[in-house]
Amino acid sequence: MASLEIKRIAKTFGAQSVLPGISLEVPDKEFVVILGPSGCGKSTLLRIVAGLEIASAGSVSFGGAPVDHLSPGQRNVAMVFQNYALYPHLSVAANIGFGLRRATLSRKEKRAAVQEIARLLEIESLLDRRPSELSGGQRQRVAMGRAIIRKPAVFLFDEPLSNLDARLRLQMRAEIRALHRKLPTTTLYVTHDQVEAMTMADRVVVMREGRIEQIGTPDEIYCAPQSIFVAQFIGMPAMNIVSARLDRSNSALTIAGERFAMPEFWPDEKALDGEVTLGLRPEHLSLSRTGAGLRANVDQIEPMGSETLVYLYHHGTRLCARTPPETRLASGSEVKLGLNLNRAVLFDPVTQKALYRPNPYESTTGETQWK
Amino acid sequence: MVRSRGERLSDIAVYLAMALLALVFLLPILWLLSLALRTQAEVFLGAARFIPEAPTLDNFASVLRDGGFQSYIWNTVKLSALGAAGAVGFAAPAAYAFSRFSFRGKGAMMLGILSVQMVSGLVILIPLYRMLDRLGLLESHFGTTLLYIAAGVPVTIWLLKIAFDTIPQSLDDAAAIDGLSRLESFLLITLPLAAPGLISAFILNLILNWSQFLIPFIMLSADEKWPISVAIFRFAGASSAATTQLLAAACLLAILPALAVFVILQRWILAALMAGAVKD
Ligand SMILES: Nc1ncnc2c1ncn2[C@@H]1O[C@H](COP(=O)(O)OP(=O)(O)O)[C@@H](O)[C@H]1O
Ligand SMILES: [Mg+2]
Repeated sequence: MASLEIKRIAKTFGAQSVLPGISLEVPDKEFVVILGPSGCGKSTLLRIVAGLEIASAGSVSFGGAPVDHLSPGQRNVAMVFQNYALYPHLSVAANIGFGLRRATLSRKEKRAAVQEIARLLEIESLLDRRPSELSGGQRQRVAMGRAIIRKPAVFLFDEPLSNLDARLRLQMRAEIRALHRKLPTTTLYVTHDQVEAMTMADRVVVMREGRIEQIGTPDEIYCAPQSIFVAQFIGMPAMNIVSARLDRSNSALTIAGERFAMPEFWPDEKALDGEVTLGLRPEHLSLSRTGAGLRANVDQIEPMGSETLVYLYHHGTRLCARTPPETRLASGSEVKLGLNLNRAVLFDPVTQKALYRPNPYESTTGETQWK
Repeated sequence: MVRSRGERLSDIAVYLAMALLALVFLLPILWLLSLALRTQAEVFLGAARFIPEAPTLDNFASVLRDGGFQSYIWNTVKLSALGAAGAVGFAAPAAYAFSRFSFRGKGAMMLGILSVQMVSGLVILIPLYRMLDRLGLLESHFGTTLLYIAAGVPVTIWLLKIAFDTIPQSLDDAAAIDGLSRLESFLLITLPLAAPGLISAFILNLILNWSQFLIPFIMLSADEKWPISVAIFRFAGASSAATTQLLAAACLLAILPALAVFVILQRWILAALMAGAVKD
């Protein structure tokens, strides 16, 4: 059990700088998911924490003690790999027990430890098999068994579910979370799948090109993104991004000539005047045939069963609205778009950073006000 | 399945070509067999009688009973096996380094090793002889084995590097996290998984060493240390026509073990490779 501290870790491969200097603190027992597009340096960071890769600069500490000089084995970390990396020539029992080779336990105690882990993961009947005789999900469990048997200080996962089919991924997500509840351990979990990040994380770290774009709870990341990158990376479909103009003196927001009333709780700041970029989730757009709102043309609809996604064009900008499942609209038809500005995020069009973010934990049921 | 006439014709052509090729290789062996089955009287008839009228196995029997022959075969087995084991043993760590580490001049070194393989033994014969003389290693099986190993190491490094390359690096990572040192991970993870590659390399060396002639020829002058290749050469030079049939029998018997090893173990290798292919 230990907290994890990453201090200004940098990594270059030859001339390529993969991590320019990243800092992150993970409190004891927290489950942190590192989320980012592929190639952004997630695995590299994880491997540096594990000791598999040497950082060019910076320091990693477990429980306040630097571990930079320690080999991976001495760091007491456990890692689950994307391809499981089970030893093909060893039985399941031997794979799980492999990490105990050095432990000062009797043969009997080791066997008991393997049994206990196998019971926990419900793979007792597989102990004599070889990895090649297991299904993907079973291999995944053996890989986790090998990781948890040593009671590691820090648990590392590198895209452990990406080789599984959708149904199994759903199940393993829940199982990994359940395991973390049973054996609370500081965990760093790397993925490029936002669903995994949203459903599993205590906190999400969004990475982009070797830098941290935002750290926050899944709710914060989703409702209050710190940049347009995060706004568009998270959410399926992504957040709608629209150019707008704020007029403080008239408390008005104008989008392509259409005027909306500004929510009064938007702070009275100088930055919040003039050109801004408005971010709104698809669930905060509503459709009507007549009435107030932005004029938009339906491009296509995607009935999802539980909801219908409507894609529209508004002055060349493609938008998406999440609507009730029974919505059916012909492509090309004209509709009015209502905006729930209470949930809107405002970005600086130049820096792409957020100027104003709603509080994700404060429910604002206020109706959109039309002018 | 219905096959077209053209297909069948092309099949026949392929078989004919292969039969012709096989004949070219088989002819000398058939000739040896013909001689080995003859009595001394028939040997004098030469090529005029390809199929002996009174075939006999006496020649094989007397060769097999001959203490000299037994000792030559034993020397060959010993030198070939030790040389092959040594080559694999020395090449494995080098191949591992080439497979797993990145360092300056790696590509050039790999090419350099390959180019050593291309130098004919004849070119370095005299300096090699002098060097081993200085080291006091002439006339010994130990020195001869060292040369067998040296001859086999370059190609073996290449073979084993390819074998190690197919073993996922993430297993090295897993082993490191499980607390294994590089050496332990090499011995406990990489080597067992590369077993099919190691065995193929061993057998290839074994077969090359079995037919090795030049090295033992210059290294060993004492009769009791010769492998079969040198012995046959010396006897062929010294013997009269009166012993031709015996020499032929000895030649055939010398080829046999290499052939047997090849056939039996090749199956084993193939099985191992197939098992690897079915797994993922
Ligand atoms: N051993 C390496 N040598 C050279 N470049 C590497 C190495 N490992 C990773 N990289 C580069 O670093 C970048 C980040 O890689 P990685 O950490 O694997 O990204 P991610 O896991 O986020 O997909 C990539 O551009 C990759 O090509
Ligand atoms: Mg990766």
